[in-house]
Amino acid sequence: MPRADSGPSPSRTVVVTGLGAVSALGWNVASFWEGLRSGRTAIGPFDRFDHSGHRTHVAAQVDLAAGPGRPRGKPPRLSLADRFAVAAAREAVARAGLDLGACGGRTGVYFGSSTGGMIESEAYFAAFLEAAAGRGRRPAVGVLASQQYNSPGDAVARDLGIGGPVQTISAACASGAMAIGDAVRAIRRGEADAAIAGGSDSLCRLTYAGFNALRAVDERPCRPFREARAGLSLGEGAATVLLEPLDRALARGARPLVVAAGEAATCDAYHMTSPHPEGIGAAEAIREALADARLDPAEIDFVNAHGTGTPLNDLAECKALYAVFGDRAGDLPVTSTKSLVGHLLGSAGALEAVGTILCLLAGEVHPMPDGGAPDPAIRLRLVLGRPLSLPRARQALSTSLGFGGANAALVFTRYRDEGHVL
Amino acid sequence: MSKTPALRSRIKHLLVDALHLEGLSPSDIADDAPLFGEGLGLDSVDALELVVALEKEFKVPIQSHEVGKEAFASVSALAAFIEGRLDAVGNADATS
Amino acid sequence: MYSEAVITGLGMIGPCGHGRGALAAALAAGRPVTAEVDRSAGLHREGGAQLAALVGERDVSRWIHPAAARRISLPSKFAVSAARMALADAGLADAGLADAGAGPDRVGVYLATAFGSVLSTEKLLRRILLEGAQAAQPFDFSECVANAPAAQLAIAVGARGPNETLTQRESGPLLAVARGAQAVREGLVNRALVGAVEEVTPLLHALLDRFGALARAEGPLPEMPRPFDRRRNGFLAGEGATLLVLEREDDARARGARVLARVVWSGAAFDATASAADWGDGHAPLAAVLRAGLDSLPGGASGVSAVVSGASGARRGDRIEGRVLRAAWGKVPLPPVLVPKAVVGEYGGGILAPALLALEGAPMGPTPGFEEPDPEVGVAPHDGGAREIPARVLLTGLASGGAAAWVVLERAS
Repeated sequence: MPRADSGPSPSRTVVVTGLGAVSALGWNVASFWEGLRSGRTAIGPFDRFDHSGHRTHVAAQVDLAAGPGRPRGKPPRLSLADRFAVAAAREAVARAGLDLGACGGRTGVYFGSSTGGMIESEAYFAAFLEAAAGRGRRPAVGVLASQQYNSPGDAVARDLGIGGPVQTISAACASGAMAIGDAVRAIRRGEADAAIAGGSDSLCRLTYAGFNALRAVDERPCRPFREARAGLSLGEGAATVLLEPLDRALARGARPLVVAAGEAATCDAYHMTSPHPEGIGAAEAIREALADARLDPAEIDFVNAHGTGTPLNDLAECKALYAVFGDRAGDLPVTSTKSLVGHLLGSAGALEAVGTILCLLAGEVHPMPDGGAPDPAIRLRLVLGRPLSLPRARQALSTSLGFGGANAALVFTRYRDEGHVL
Repeated sequence: MSKTPALRSRIKHLLVDALHLEGLSPSDIADDAPLFGEGLGLDSVDALELVVALEKEFKVPIQSHEVGKEAFASVSALAAFIEGRLDAVGNADATS
Repeated sequence: MYSEAVITGLGMIGPCGHGRGALAAALAAGRPVTAEVDRSAGLHREGGAQLAALVGERDVSRWIHPAAARRISLPSKFAVSAARMALADAGLADAGLADAGAGPDRVGVYLATAFGSVLSTEKLLRRILLEGAQAAQPFDFSECVANAPAAQLAIAVGARGPNETLTQRESGPLLAVARGAQAVREGLVNRALVGAVEEVTPLLHALLDRFGALARAEGPLPEMPRPFDRRRNGFLAGEGATLLVLEREDDARARGARVLARVVWSGAAFDATASAADWGDGHAPLAAVLRAGLDSLPGGASGVSAVVSGASGARRGDRIEGRVLRAAWGKVPLPPVLVPKAVVGEYGGGILAPALLALEGAPMGPTPGFEEPDPEVGVAPHDGGAREIPARVLLTGLASGGAAAWVVLERAS
């Protein structure tokens, strides 16, 4: 029962019981993990739209033919971002064995998206402009119903019959991670008994052109933290985690995968498109997420970095890691999922959270593709070529440093069956 | 070179228009005043916005590694850079 | 140490003008503040909506130096200006916020928008589609992301705490208030700037109208939003920004700040019967959530002496809003239902400032456009008559697409 908001957030353990992922590596978590382990990038030629006029011609595109196709019996107005989101959410709920018929009313959806159904809107607008110029008929406006930022999150809630709190945030590259952070706090305060948290975005002309206008896109698949890095690679997809309070998960016989131990978000308040060069805001987010998890920096075993591959981001992020971890930053294994599936913008933080969790569960850190010497100014222990075996890894950090200076950090820890002690 | 004053004037107008430098008249911008950091105090995003405007106006491509560097230091430097580009692509008439 | 979250400052740029005085006058008069939308681009359909609640005075140089404003979008300008007004209203200044310590001493930002910077997005798309891929302009791209206003706000005032942009349409503003209050209450931040921002461009107006969402002239009826009225046919699109300063009640009292209201409850739910662009009919589960929330407060539903409703004139939106209210109050008669969106339109945080004015006892005129009750809804909004100054008000925000959010504010003496 919702109660009057009173008292500080109880220190209640929040666990992850389900995962879902849709990316250029495939339509489920298994194919995502297999691709991550392989170290072979899924960034390459794509045909989501005509990019012949651009300086770059690669992205990490989801193979639509491999997906489940449009759900039968549902209204046809689902955008790609909606479809990715629904697939990822269904997978997470199924994995968790959560009976939404029983508890959908107390389940919430906490989502992130940076462009919603933009690619469909672009097609609408193109036809609209053609019609205005006397060529062709004015398109029907119905496709715009799924245009907005909240469309993927709402589509998930509608598809699963959710009755609890539903919100979408749009914090650019930090959206997915912040959505998960919001969900963790919501579970702690009892706002919902279960939360589907994540994000979704599809490739679209707007962001592809926009990042190219900022000269922030690499012609080659991105090479985070490497000396020759020249920008980011865009990707698309969705990812979700299912979060519950530990006691409820155990009571219904679910098996917790990991503990969502800590979260924090800050803002550089510095510049719209460039991160603070010293990574101060990012360092603060990491420190506060660790404090939230009641962990010392020394207890983190590896980092899934934001690692876009832009000259400025990677350097700032390295400085942030050194600010928090001190000299130990040079020994901490660091990887960037973006090197394999691109930058998913609104869902990046969520997909990378899933990647981080998978690494923890497997006891190994997925690699980035080999090739390209690390930047000598960035002395991090990059995981390259092959997975790094870390069977005793217990605690991991995932970071997101967004456009507009929004920073988010998530800490996940292994769940120990013999009784979890925070 | 007789083309250069006209080219500098066009560049100054472009700066004011493309970067929304309201309250500033093109003639207020000195040929050799620094554009970035001090002087006009433009930043990296201004440089990129300027590049789009320059490419559109003069129909010359500008490589990413050239953006914001020596060629962009002042109006004079930009004019010399653009003129060099135009000569290279054989568009000598574009600046008349 | 635990402390309640209170509102200590209000800033707004809206169709009524800047600041509360103009808004109070419009609400007291009970007259929608509208202007003709520019339809010269040929985007609009024949016979559709022609009016919107637009911000007339766009000169924000009083709050933003022109040099700082030159390359930011209108929503960003609205947000920064309203934030500075709110901080001044709260007796705080930028200098006190910048680099203010670590952790909770940083200021959080929770800002809602439904559409983001529509003009920047439109300009970018036009360039890409009509002139080619490389014509895209960096200024437009950096401003078209939905979190641009929140980010510009943070840069302007030095807010380095969590920076969250809620994009949950008509529920967004109340979710922003709720998240900000929770952050303050839970010790994440000591202070937050919360609210909403929107711009209405001719293109957005034309598209909303093509969806049939906007109020329009029909037969003998002139164009007007008619919340809860049987003949309602859509809402009034409105723009602007409303920003509130939220802080710990302890801190506010300690520094002698004037406390406008206390945030005592927030709730949220989802109606899965709604389609992506409309409201549904699942009022019973929503009412159950609202009722349980009200029951958790001293006095229950009877302790709420006014509803500041998010009803806007939307056909199905007002219907489910009314049914949720009726079901939540049950046999107890509803208190006065104030409907500010009839005056200021939908978007831009429309009901936040009116709710604070209501708590102060500001007179509210009759609800414009309401003449005939709708038997399917059964709610008659405030008729302009005398009413007690409420001690506690319920704010409602049911969104198209299915989300629902509520906030209860209490006068803090």
